[in-house]
Amino acid sequence: METALLGLAAGLAVGIAAIATSIAQARIGTAGVGALAEKPELLGSIIILVAIPETMVILGFAIAAMILMGGG
Amino acid sequence: MTRVQIMGIRSDLQKVVNKLHHLGTLQIDDINNIPDISAQELSLSADTQKAQEDSKYLITQIRGLIESLGCIPSKENLSSNEEVSLEEIRKNVNQLIPQIHELNLHKRELEGEFEILPRYGATLKKLLPIVPSTANKPGNTTVGVLIDVSHIKTLDAISKRILEITKGKAEFVSDSIDETFQAMLVVCPRGFLSEIETFLGEKDVSQLQFPNELSNLTPGKAMEAIEQRLDTIPNELKMLGRSFEGLANKWCEPLNRWLLELEESLDETEILSRFGETEHTFIVYGWVPTRDFEALKRGLEEEIGERVFVTALKTTPETQKLAPIALDNPKVSHPFESLVRLRAVPRYDDIDPTNLMALFLPLFFGMILGDVGYGLVLLLISLFLSKRMKPGFLKDISKVLFLGSIWSVIFGFLYGEAFGPLGEQIGLRPIWMDRANPENMIGLLLSSIGVGAIHVTIGLIVGVWQAVTHKSRNHLLERGGMLIGVMGLFMLVGTLVNFLPNSLTTPSIAVIVVGIALLGASFGIAGIFLGPIEFIGVIGNILSYLRIAAIGLASVYLAKVAYDMAGMLGSLIVGALIVILINALNLVMGTFSSTIHGLRLHYVEFFRKFYQGGGRPYEPFHNHPPPGK
Repeated sequence: METALLGLAAGLAVGIAAIATSIAQARIGTAGVGALAEKPELLGSIIILVAIPETMVILGFAIAAMILMGGG
Repeated sequence: MTRVQIMGIRSDLQKVVNKLHHLGTLQIDDINNIPDISAQELSLSADTQKAQEDSKYLITQIRGLIESLGCIPSKENLSSNEEVSLEEIRKNVNQLIPQIHELNLHKRELEGEFEILPRYGATLKKLLPIVPSTANKPGNTTVGVLIDVSHIKTLDAISKRILEITKGKAEFVSDSIDETFQAMLVVCPRGFLSEIETFLGEKDVSQLQFPNELSNLTPGKAMEAIEQRLDTIPNELKMLGRSFEGLANKWCEPLNRWLLELEESLDETEILSRFGETEHTFIVYGWVPTRDFEALKRGLEEEIGERVFVTALKTTPETQKLAPIALDNPKVSHPFESLVRLRAVPRYDDIDPTNLMALFLPLFFGMILGDVGYGLVLLLISLFLSKRMKPGFLKDISKVLFLGSIWSVIFGFLYGEAFGPLGEQIGLRPIWMDRANPENMIGLLLSSIGVGAIHVTIGLIVGVWQAVTHKSRNHLLERGGMLIGVMGLFMLVGTLVNFLPNSLTTPSIAVIVVGIALLGASFGIAGIFLGPIEFIGVIGNILSYLRIAAIGLASVYLAKVAYDMAGMLGSLIVGALIVILINALNLVMGTFSSTIHGLRLHYVEFFRKFYQGGGRPYEPFHNHPPPGK
C-alpha cells in the first residue's frame, strides 16, 4: 500500500508539473509563432522563452526521484 | 575591425565600386549615419535609377522563369566573357515568358482534368447499371442532381416538379455516391433541358456538371470517354515534361548567368546610396577586418593608382562599439557560430562564447543520448548530410550533430547501451554506470547536477572576468556575489556529505551570506529581497541540468519498451518491425530533444551569466557568391 502511494505521489509530482509546463509552453509557443511570422530573427529568443517553463517539469521529476528513492 | 575612409575623384567611382565588390571585405556604412561629414549623399542620375528599376523587374521575371523551369543553380563558374546588354536579356526573357506561360497553363489544365475525371467516373460507374435504356435514345438528354444525404427527402419534391415540367416524360434513377452525397440522374427529352436547369437553379440544387465535351454524350459513352481520357493524360503530361526539359536545357544556364550579372550590377548601383559626394569627389566609410586592410588598400591602389586615398581611421572606444562583428574561431567551432548568432550576435566587447559552446554542447548531447548504436547511426547520417548540404544553417547543424554523435558513442560505452538494452544482450558492459538500473539513479542525477555546477561556475567566472575588463561595478557585484555564494553552497554540500570536515559548515554558510549580500548590493535597496531570490535562481539554474539525466532516462526506457513489446508479440517478424520502428522513433526524438535541451542549457543557464549580445553582424559588400566560398 505504501509503495502504491509513493508511486502515486511520484506520478503526481511529474504529472502536475508536466501539465503546468504544457499550459505555459502552449501559450508562449502560440505567441512565439505569431511573433516569428513578423520577425524571424527572434527565433533564438523564442526558443529560450518556450524552454523556460520546462524547468518546472524537471524539478517535478527531481521531486519524484526523491520520493521514490527515499521510499525505496 | 579597422575603420576605413576611401576618397577619390568621381570619374573613378564605378571602378572603385567594382573593385570593392570583387574584394568583398568592406562593410560600407551609410553616409547619412556618419556625423560631422560635409559631403552629401551621392545622387543617382535618372538613367541609373531607371536601369535600377529595370534590373529589379528583370530579376523578378528571371527568378520566376528559373522556378518554373526547375533550374538548379550551376556549380560551374557562371561568369562569361560575353557582355550581354540589358536590352538583349529583356528581349530573350520576353520571348521565353509566353512559351512558359502557355506550357504551365496546359499543365495545370491536364492536372486538373486528371484529378476531376476519376470523380465523374466514379459517379457514373455507380449509376450506369441503373440508367434507363432511354438515356441512349437520340433526342433524350441526362441531367445529374447532387443532394446532401441530410436533405434526401427533397429528391421526391424535385422529381415531382420535373415530372410536371416534362409532362410525365422523365425517368429517374438515384444512388448514394459516398457518405455525404446522393446523386440522381434524370432522363428526359432534350427540349425540357433549359426549363429543368432553370428550376434547379432557382431552388439552389447542385447539378452534376460534366465537362463540356462529356455533357452531350450518353452516360455509357461518357464513361468510355472518361476512361480513354484518363489513359492519354499521363502521356500528354510526359510530353509536356519533355518540352519543359528542352527549354530548361537551353535556358537554365543563361538565365542563371543573367540573374547573377543583374544582381551584381544592382548591388553596385544600390550601394551608391551609401556613398557621399562633393562636386568632384566621392567619399565612403566602412569597416574591414584588420588583417584585410592592407589587401584592400593595395587592391584599390593597383586598380586606380594614386587618385584614390584609403585611410585607416583611429577609433575611440565609443566608435569601436559600432563596429560590425565577424566571429573568428578555429574551424572545428565554426558550425557553432550559427547557434551563437541564433541567440544574438556578440557585441564588440563581449566574450565570444562559440568555443565554450563547441566544447559543452556536443558533450551534453552525448550525455543525454548516450548510446553506441544511435550514436553510430547519427554519425553516418550527419556525415552524409554535412557532405551533401549547401553551406548554411542546416549544414552547421549537421556538423554539430556529427560532434554530438561522437560523444554519444563514447557515453554509450560508458553507460553500456547500444540500441537500448540490445547492447547488454551482445555483451556490452557499462564502463561507468548502467542508467537503466534504478540503483544508479541517484548517481546519475548527482552527476548531472555536478556537470551543471561546473558549467554554471565557468559561466560566472567568465562573467566576473568580463565585468573586470569592462570595469562594471554592478556586474562585478552581481556575478561575483553569485560566484561566491555558489562556492559557499558547494562547501556546504561538501560538509553535508562528509567530503569536507564538519568544522567548515559555519564558514560555508558565512560565505553564502556574503555572496547573497554582494549580489543584493548590485540591485541597491531592492537587493534585500532580490539578492536571495536571484541566488535561489542560480540554484534553480544548476538543478535545471537534471534534464540531462531525465531526458536520457526517458530515452532508455522507451528503448526498453520496444524490446518488451516485441517479446510479448510472439512473432519474430512483427517483433523485429516493432523494435526497428520504436528505435527509429527514439533516435529521432532523442536527437531532437538532446539538441534543444543542450541549446536551452546554454542560452538560459550559461549565457545569462556573462553574455549580452546585440552586436551587428559583419555583412561585407561582396560578389554573389562571396569570393572563396
